[in-house]
Amino acid sequence: MKPLEIIRNCLILSLLLAMSMVTASAHADVVVIVSAKSSITLLTAAQTTRIFLGKVDSFPDDSDAFPIDQAEGSAIRDEFYSKVVHKSSSQLAAYWAKVIFTGDGRPPEMLESDMAVRKTVAKNPNAIGYIDKSAVDKSVRVILAP
Amino acid sequence: MAIGYYFFALIGIFACVTNAEATGTDQPMFTFGGFGSLGVSHSSMRLGDYTLDSTIPKGAGLSEDWSTGNDSRIAGHLAAQFTPKVSAVLQVVSEYNAGNSYQPEVEWANVKYAFTPDAYIRVGRIALPTFLDSDNRDVGYSYVWIHPPIELYRQLAIAHSDGVDAMYRVDIGEVGNTIKAIIYGENTIERATSKSISKDMWGIFDTIEYGPTTTHVGYQKRLSASENLQTGVTGAWVRNSDLSVGVNYDPGNWFAMSEWIQRKSTTNITAMYVSGGYRVKKFTPYLTYSQNSPGSFLPGFPPPSSGGIRLANRSQSTVSLGVRWDFMKNTDLKLQYDQVKLSNNSNGFLANVPANVSLYGAKFHVISAVVDFVF
Repeated sequence: MKPLEIIRNCLILSLLLAMSMVTASAHADVVVIVSAKSSITLLTAAQTTRIFLGKVDSFPDDSDAFPIDQAEGSAIRDEFYSKVVHKSSSQLAAYWAKVIFTGDGRPPEMLESDMAVRKTVAKNPNAIGYIDKSAVDKSVRVILAP
Repeated sequence: MAIGYYFFALIGIFACVTNAEATGTDQPMFTFGGFGSLGVSHSSMRLGDYTLDSTIPKGAGLSEDWSTGNDSRIAGHLAAQFTPKVSAVLQVVSEYNAGNSYQPEVEWANVKYAFTPDAYIRVGRIALPTFLDSDNRDVGYSYVWIHPPIELYRQLAIAHSDGVDAMYRVDIGEVGNTIKAIIYGENTIERATSKSISKDMWGIFDTIEYGPTTTHVGYQKRLSASENLQTGVTGAWVRNSDLSVGVNYDPGNWFAMSEWIQRKSTTNITAMYVSGGYRVKKFTPYLTYSQNSPGSFLPGFPPPSSGGIRLANRSQSTVSLGVRWDFMKNTDLKLQYDQVKLSNNSNGFLANVPANVSLYGAKFHVISAVVDFVF
């Protein structure tokens, strides 16, 4: 290989690498949201975790909490659970296997996209969801940006 | 199986009563799921069978070269949410048991009434939360090991009871505290030649969760007696008590857990294990040490028979090294190596050891592989 070719290949490689990092970071900005009508302004990762794992049914102010998940296998879901709950998709599946088959609860309801989650959360002051930062608008409030 | 029929009758009644009533959410009234495990094991000890509990008639070692008896099962789980307050579950498990078959059994069949999301009462067949993983011990997919540590989980004399229990959950700041109480329970376990009967059971169990830490403390009491199936004679009723303490720390990439239990009947037995593992992508290698003490006879009972002494002396320890591989969605593959050491005056929990053979102090190896799945 000529030196020029090596440099060119290196450049292409680093460009590809940079692009892959950009795509990765596009999914890396998960934020936790509630309706703009909700009175909740801030939640810790621990409080969010307990709501999504079904360990509590309410927000810290005692109002009902209605968590909404995203589709299994979606990048945003994996991002949320690894950053906020500190569980991989298989750890999460093992956790729900225990809860479901001991009759102690059911996983949150699931919606298919950021848009669908935002729409449902915006309408329901008790709902809590997670979406990509870029999908946030005035109808919802970000209460945790991990 | 009679309880199963009552259960279906109850479901029918509730389904009729609540037919017109909306459940309040978009979730369906009935959900069906299930879980299973397909496992094989092989033991280097050819003079006895390596069996997980006394209801399993034979296993790897003496009777079989490779055995599927310990870690193979399939279960169906039907859950029904009739109203936001009334729900029911039915769980039927098929695994190798005393009848030398995989005859399905009703493991759970109960109706729950939730006063609030944080308080309920259940009636029917209920799994006992005696240890950290006792109510989900059949669900291999829910834990890291091939099976829960044998020396401690063998002391779980009863997995479920027919009766009434209640739960109350209270949060103090970020600490979640769940109290479960067995208000009344009874149970019958069939073995090859005898039947263990329990009644007047009650218990209280407290689980505290704070961030990645879970602690579990339990205490339960019951009366038990053994019925000889050949003669039909039932022995004296003995008061049993079980005390257990467990802790699990799981911050995400690794975990450590330990349990200690004390079981009192005519004897006093303690058992414990410590286990830890580290998660590397889809692999979780783990290491476990577990052991149980021999039973020391408590005062106030007639002198034990030689058979009774032999049973009380059973004591062993195991070092297990294994790995769980989450190789596809809702499915794992586990491999485990156990080194088992029997105490100096017992054959441990080996089954079917010929009467003239003594394996006191022996050491042997067991290798096991299992595929667990949920659906």
